[in-house]
Amino acid sequence: MMTRMTIEEQPAIPFDAWSLIGGLEVTLDVDVLVGAFPDRDSPPGTPESVGGLLAGHRTRAGAVASLRAALFDVRQGNDEVLALAAESRWLPVGAVDLRDALGAGRELDRLAGAGMRAVRLFPDEQGVDASFPSVRHVARRAAELGLVVLTGGDVRRFWQPFAGIGARVVFLDTHFYHLGDFLVAALEEPGFHTSTRLLNSPDALETVAAELGVERLLHGTRAPHYEPIVPLLRLATSGLDPAQVEAVAGGNARRLLA
Amino acid sequence: MIIDVHAHWGPWFFTMDVAGASLATMDRYGIGKAIVSATEAVIYDAQAGNRALAKVLEGQDRLHGYVTVNPRRLREAAEDLRDLTGPWVGVKIHTDYTGSPVTSPRMRAALELAVEAGLPALVHTWGPSVLDLAQVCLDVPGLRVIAGHMGADGHRYAIEAARGCDRLYLEPCWSHAPAGRIAEVVAAVDDRQLLFGTDATLIDPSSAFGAVAAAGLTGLTAERVAWRNATELFSI
Repeated sequence: MMTRMTIEEQPAIPFDAWSLIGGLEVTLDVDVLVGAFPDRDSPPGTPESVGGLLAGHRTRAGAVASLRAALFDVRQGNDEVLALAAESRWLPVGAVDLRDALGAGRELDRLAGAGMRAVRLFPDEQGVDASFPSVRHVARRAAELGLVVLTGGDVRRFWQPFAGIGARVVFLDTHFYHLGDFLVAALEEPGFHTSTRLLNSPDALETVAAELGVERLLHGTRAPHYEPIVPLLRLATSGLDPAQVEAVAGGNARRLLA
Repeated sequence: MIIDVHAHWGPWFFTMDVAGASLATMDRYGIGKAIVSATEAVIYDAQAGNRALAKVLEGQDRLHGYVTVNPRRLREAAEDLRDLTGPWVGVKIHTDYTGSPVTSPRMRAALELAVEAGLPALVHTWGPSVLDLAQVCLDVPGLRVIAGHMGADGHRYAIEAARGCDRLYLEPCWSHAPAGRIAEVVAAVDDRQLLFGTDATLIDPSSAFGAVAAAGLTGLTAERVAWRNATELFSI
């Protein structure tokens, strides 16, 4: 029997996301950036403003990489995020420039020597295809150094350079349109994980948990360039149980990155 | 009260199992009513999908229907628009699945059918195509048209389109949520032209709901986006 919902029965405030999010807190957001995109009107991305945005979304810490490193000066950008490690709200993530394969390899060695646990790839921003030799070179070197790779790009293509080498990878751009491809690839690769950011169909999070295990899901927002409330709301209203939600909201990322 | 003016009923071809999830998905976000099109009608066979949806709409009052029109099948569309009444409150036209650009003569003919039926039309828009839709709206007297996705990554085109035609409405759903997209549109467009839509059950409502929440709408503007404009446009 259908229930008729009258205007009087509806919440007084339309679009009250926080009442749906409830008490959910994020202990580590795996997809955070400092810096700005020069090719679009984007937030300035200062560490102060990004930190404030995370705090405003009940997020204790962010795995943060530098757009300066991704787009212009790898070493200076990486040093800027390395300096953020003094604050517990930041977990620095290095970046390499895939347009400079030799330099990327050297930077991976430097980052590992500096104690970094993860490196982020920006193939779309750098105009790099998954088939380029630089990607395979970086994937192999990162695996040898024990670095976790956080990578953008179409998961249907970017799974390939990481397959069969024992890589630990978080695919940051997995869209629910491509969920099936991620699932069948990840079934054979225990090191493959995905961000939740674009898994915003009604059952994508639940499908990953059922098919692979919830440990493969990491909460990611791309703050401040995407609205962080969207994946937060999706996680809060998911069909995952409280322990699973806690794992996705940072437990899994801590285990992988910290 | 929230009315979702861009929703679907039926299965999708992606790795997902949401064919029966319409009401449960609405309930999670306090969406009282939704105007849905049949996925079969949008993606493959408009007439068969419309007829299947007709059975779902019977005996319940939370789902209203879009008569999906394939601009390549105008005779069948005219039949459906003649036969399907009652809970059917709008026309849905997808440009890509039917290979019918907004600028095509058959799209204009399909929109003229909507006008003859006295129904507003929801049309898929992406990028600058929303500007083409505004021009068609100006060219077709009496047409009331909703720019589905409000151009997606072309939301600035959508602003220009809405400001150029007061019979064009914007609906925001998209699987991406770039920072500030909704707030920018709300600041630039008459709030009587703004609607709320999710693309459920393809996209979870969290995407549009969260993006709109991030814009911090209040007062009459929030009510207009949430339900007032929809009740007036669709007479529901």
